[in-house]
Amino acid sequence: MVEAAIALRVRALSRRFGGVAAIEALDLDVQAGETLGVIGPNGAGKSTLINLISGGCAADSGSIVLFGTDITGLRADARTRLGVGRTYQIPRPFARLTVYENLELAARHARRGVAPASAAPVQETIAERCRRILTRTGLDDVAGTTAGSLPLLRRKRLELARALALQPRLLLLDEIGAGLIERETRALIELIIDLQREIGTIVLIEHVMDVINACCQRTAVLASGRLLTVGATREVLADAQVAAVYLGTGERVPAGAGAPAPPSAPPSAPPAVLLSVRGAEVHYGGVRALRQVSLELRAGECVALLGANGAGKTTLARAISGAVPLAAGTIEFDGARISGLAAARVTALGIGHCMEGRKIFSSLSVEENLLLAVPPAAQRKAAERLQRAYAMFPALRQRRAHAGTAMSGGQQQMLAIARALMSEPRLVIFDEVSLGLAPIAVESLYESLARIRASGVAMLIVEQNIHRGLQLADRAYVLAHGEIRLSGTPQEIRDSRELRALYVGEDAATGATAPAG
Amino acid sequence: MNAARKPLLIAALLGALLYCLPFALGPYWQQLGLRALQWLTLAIAWNLLAGYCGQVSLGTGAFVGLGAYACALSGNQLDAPIPVQLALAGLVAAGFAALASVALFRLRGLYFTVGTLALAEALRILMVNLRTFGGASGVVLRAATPAFHQLYWLALAIAALAVLLAELLLRSPLSLSLRAVRDDEDVALQMGVRSFRVKFGVFVLAAFLMGLAGGLQALKLGVIEPYGAYGMSWTIDTVAVVIIGGLGTRMGPLLGTLIYVALSEALRNLPELHGAVAGVFLLLAIRFAPRGLWSLVARRPAHG
Repeated sequence: MVEAAIALRVRALSRRFGGVAAIEALDLDVQAGETLGVIGPNGAGKSTLINLISGGCAADSGSIVLFGTDITGLRADARTRLGVGRTYQIPRPFARLTVYENLELAARHARRGVAPASAAPVQETIAERCRRILTRTGLDDVAGTTAGSLPLLRRKRLELARALALQPRLLLLDEIGAGLIERETRALIELIIDLQREIGTIVLIEHVMDVINACCQRTAVLASGRLLTVGATREVLADAQVAAVYLGTGERVPAGAGAPAPPSAPPSAPPAVLLSVRGAEVHYGGVRALRQVSLELRAGECVALLGANGAGKTTLARAISGAVPLAAGTIEFDGARISGLAAARVTALGIGHCMEGRKIFSSLSVEENLLLAVPPAAQRKAAERLQRAYAMFPALRQRRAHAGTAMSGGQQQMLAIARALMSEPRLVIFDEVSLGLAPIAVESLYESLARIRASGVAMLIVEQNIHRGLQLADRAYVLAHGEIRLSGTPQEIRDSRELRALYVGEDAATGATAPAG
Repeated sequence: MNAARKPLLIAALLGALLYCLPFALGPYWQQLGLRALQWLTLAIAWNLLAGYCGQVSLGTGAFVGLGAYACALSGNQLDAPIPVQLALAGLVAAGFAALASVALFRLRGLYFTVGTLALAEALRILMVNLRTFGGASGVVLRAATPAFHQLYWLALAIAALAVLLAELLLRSPLSLSLRAVRDDEDVALQMGVRSFRVKFGVFVLAAFLMGLAGGLQALKLGVIEPYGAYGMSWTIDTVAVVIIGGLGTRMGPLLGTLIYVALSEALRNLPELHGAVAGVFLLLAIRFAPRGLWSLVARRPAHG
């Protein structure tokens, strides 16, 4: 039978959201036993495609056939029983269930009668299966934790674990590789290759090209809801058209309009210290997330905060903006102590915070999101600041009346950046702004950051991507296990031998990695 | 498996103790106990629905009222014995819930809540205007009202049934499905949970227990009328008991009932203040123990 070779057959699939076509007349075949990569700019319709296949939303027209069964009209739970497993790009764990319970629920509803032994799911087998998957995905240590209290990257891990517990025949992965450092990415690649052997067929949405390259036999490129091309991964990535719409020109940060990108030699009288953190400690429950952290940032300076996942970067950023309390130490801004102040007071003093995960208000329009961030004292200047934001990000002007979250990921990130600037801060904290963005979007984002820097605003950039961070920064600090391990100019950091050990993980550190197998 | 048997033993002892209460204490305490057990039954039912499955219903009054009417009419028309009257009270409420759920579960979240509220009000107004069931003046039970201690034992049996059913449900794998639907229904569906069936089952079970409590109310009063039987106060009291005690916790309904009974007794001579003080108490509980007072007792995060 010819059909047997096709795991998933999508024909003339269309879905519109309020007049905008998210997926239009899409034809796509996924062969049994292959890993198919799906790439494309933010907003191309990749996540919608996964939603349509998994039954998260219904198709307007077209058909979806899974292993010979037409599933177009089936509800999500029925498709799951037929062997579709998926992850959510923005993780949606059952927040008040434990990590283990999240898996157990999925395991109890897994596809029946799969492999020889798993006919009747006895308690023991389900428990064993859950334990095995937890070990495999590196979530052992948090099995009893409520899922809602996990940090972002572990939630992403839980998405994968939960989908595996469903024992799918077709696994749909939506950006599970975002925000990982090299060592973790390598482990993830091994894991996916293993999974392909076990599960058979995987559809993988990913912006991390290393993962696409290593895991996907074929890759499809979506743009504006249409299939641009599909073929062998190597050929697709070499395609000039793909480079134009998606890949961009590579990891190069162009200097903003006329701004001196590389920091000019430090002038004889350095600018005044704007932010000073001394001996900061943050505890979560009994865990010390930050230990004796000291850091300095001068007016107009751009400082990068680097480090592996769980090193404490976001915690430090949140401590500075007043979102988490210090257990010890002080933070001063412009000579005045700000530790202990409420977050709103800190913002009023001139610190903007562009938070990890964007945090766009979904029920507000783009313009309302921006206006909300103008402090009461500056309301008279609101219109002027709005114009400046639109001048910096013209795409936002076009979509000023749209819901903030109805835009693509890249545009949402632009909105988050523009919003952080609406209070005219003297210091902005950018926390993982490039997470989950297409390469070409990351590029334009960093161009904007360079322009913001050139305007004289001091910046603290929290970055996973060491090269990006170091290209833009005047100085950098590297955190590991809640402590500052390294600091210096980008060149000093790059030349440091310790960096490789700390960051790339060649010291076999005990991190939140996924041991493959 | 000693650890698993211990709570069972405690429950059995407590049940025996409560059973013996009428031998030791007078009608005042029996009546108080009766009221407490009714609230406990309602609280357990509503906690399953709202606390564990996330379906915040404000339709408690509808099911209590249906139970009360079913009990009264079956006694009057069919001369049914008390156990049959009560069984019918539960079944009529459950049957109505089953019919209503087809429409109600098309709504989610706040819309579901408003839907249940509208349903309860509509039913009350229907009963006021329906001559067949006595209209606004209600129904007088022909049979004599049972003695307090008999009512108390019936209430104890019903509450014990509620505890048993709730425990069986929460110890079964279905408990996970319930809580998954509460946390994120779309994702639950994506994980293969048949969410409609889960919600339907809990809704019908809760309505059954609420109907039993309503049937008891009819036996207790000897006369029922729509304003009391379908009244909002059933709904409000139940919500208050569960939220004060701890929404979505096993012990929450019990703790909340004890506090609520104590509160209403303390204010017995000031009925005009009762509502206000209970309201202040509810606000304080929400402010200082948003996960209920049980969360302060239990210290470790409540299960689920």
